[in-house]
Amino acid sequence: MTTTTTIPRSDIDPYSDASILSPYEDYRRLRDLGPVVWLETHQVFAVARYREVYDALHDHTTFSSGSGVGLTETLNKAQKGSSFTSDPPYHDYVRGLVARHLKPKALEQFHDYIEGWAARLVDELIEKGTFDAVTDFAQAFPLAVVPDLLGWPVEEGKERLLEWATAGFNAFGPLNDRTKAGFPLLKEMSDFLQRMSIPGNLRPDSWGAQLVSDAKDGKIEEYLLPGLLGDFLAPSMDTSVSALSSMLWLLGSHPGQWDQIRADESLIPKAFNEIIRIESPLRGFTRLVTRERELGGLTLEPDARVLLLYGSANRDERHWTDPDTFDIHRPGVAQHVGFGHGIHGCVGQALSRLEGHSLLKALSTRVRSIEIGEPTWRLHNTIRGIASLPVTLRT
Amino acid sequence: MKLVVDRSRCEGHGLCEAVAPDLLRVDDGFATPVHDGDVPADQQDAAHSAVEMCPIAALRTA
Repeated sequence: MTTTTTIPRSDIDPYSDASILSPYEDYRRLRDLGPVVWLETHQVFAVARYREVYDALHDHTTFSSGSGVGLTETLNKAQKGSSFTSDPPYHDYVRGLVARHLKPKALEQFHDYIEGWAARLVDELIEKGTFDAVTDFAQAFPLAVVPDLLGWPVEEGKERLLEWATAGFNAFGPLNDRTKAGFPLLKEMSDFLQRMSIPGNLRPDSWGAQLVSDAKDGKIEEYLLPGLLGDFLAPSMDTSVSALSSMLWLLGSHPGQWDQIRADESLIPKAFNEIIRIESPLRGFTRLVTRERELGGLTLEPDARVLLLYGSANRDERHWTDPDTFDIHRPGVAQHVGFGHGIHGCVGQALSRLEGHSLLKALSTRVRSIEIGEPTWRLHNTIRGIASLPVTLRT
Repeated sequence: MKLVVDRSRCEGHGLCEAVAPDLLRVDDGFATPVHDGDVPADQQDAAHSAVEMCPIAALRTA
């Protein structure tokens, strides 16, 4: 692969500890360098501006997912076959198998169940006094809801699931110590999913049991099952944990806007979008360029791997006014690319919104103020998020 | 100009309806263009916004 001389180069390493803990200044420098920047450390192109990230996501033929969406070719080989690491027409078929359960219409029947969980959790945390935003709130919720809907057997512990998901998403980054530390966990997860693919192991009438029974009836190839079950689990954990802990941090540090949400529940969807925009849980995914293509006036050659930085696009001053300001009234906030965009846009986004909106509703009807301490941030290759944050809910 | 929904992709997220309520309705889990998808002259900007907003590229103009 040849690099075009007109594309600026940079020694910024978005996967260094310093950049992970404080990414936004590096993202701004990458955006200012150009619409496409060659990252010398990782030998890939970075796309950090909103317009070009959006355009690449909407040209899925040129910017292909089929060879994987992670940073390194070695790790990409291990992640083939799921809906977000494939191209049409196979992609459309596999996505449909997952989306049939996760579409807004399909989720309607679970509104009361999820709102009930949200109300119970908020009541418990009010009782508890000071708690941790990550372990007690943000992890507790998706861990309670998603495995249950998928049909997780009651006798199986769920404590490993978060570690598996963390390992899975680290592996979209470079082959660094964080990624390597997750390899034994990925093996465990793979063994578990193989076991859950055996008929009778998942709870009857669950999403997962339906997939297993479709495979038994010949409607789905059996070898796809572990990957499909994994598609429900891994992407629904750390991403949600990040969004929900950022929710408490941002609303706790903007009490005036919290008062407005309490006074007007209709602000909840915009507020949730603004949380995803300003603290995008997913740093970004890569694509492989399949044919010569101009992006932002620069020419990309076939076989170039490009890292699309969603977290940077969502802070691009060329697209957003005052992008570093949290504003629940922000015009056009729903255009953020925090769930990705285009045919690979997050298949679980309706469930994510349902979780977020339900928790905001439960909080807004009960909690007068969200008192927060100092957050610390996670060291993770792909997920931007809080590691720990003390919170007290005052009624 | 017409708005066309790709029913094999549409998942009914409803973001198009939110920006162009006079042009699309989410009904029974799918976005459905009103007036057979014909976009009145004064609604063309709204139609483009709806296409841009669709999170999974299931909507286009023709």
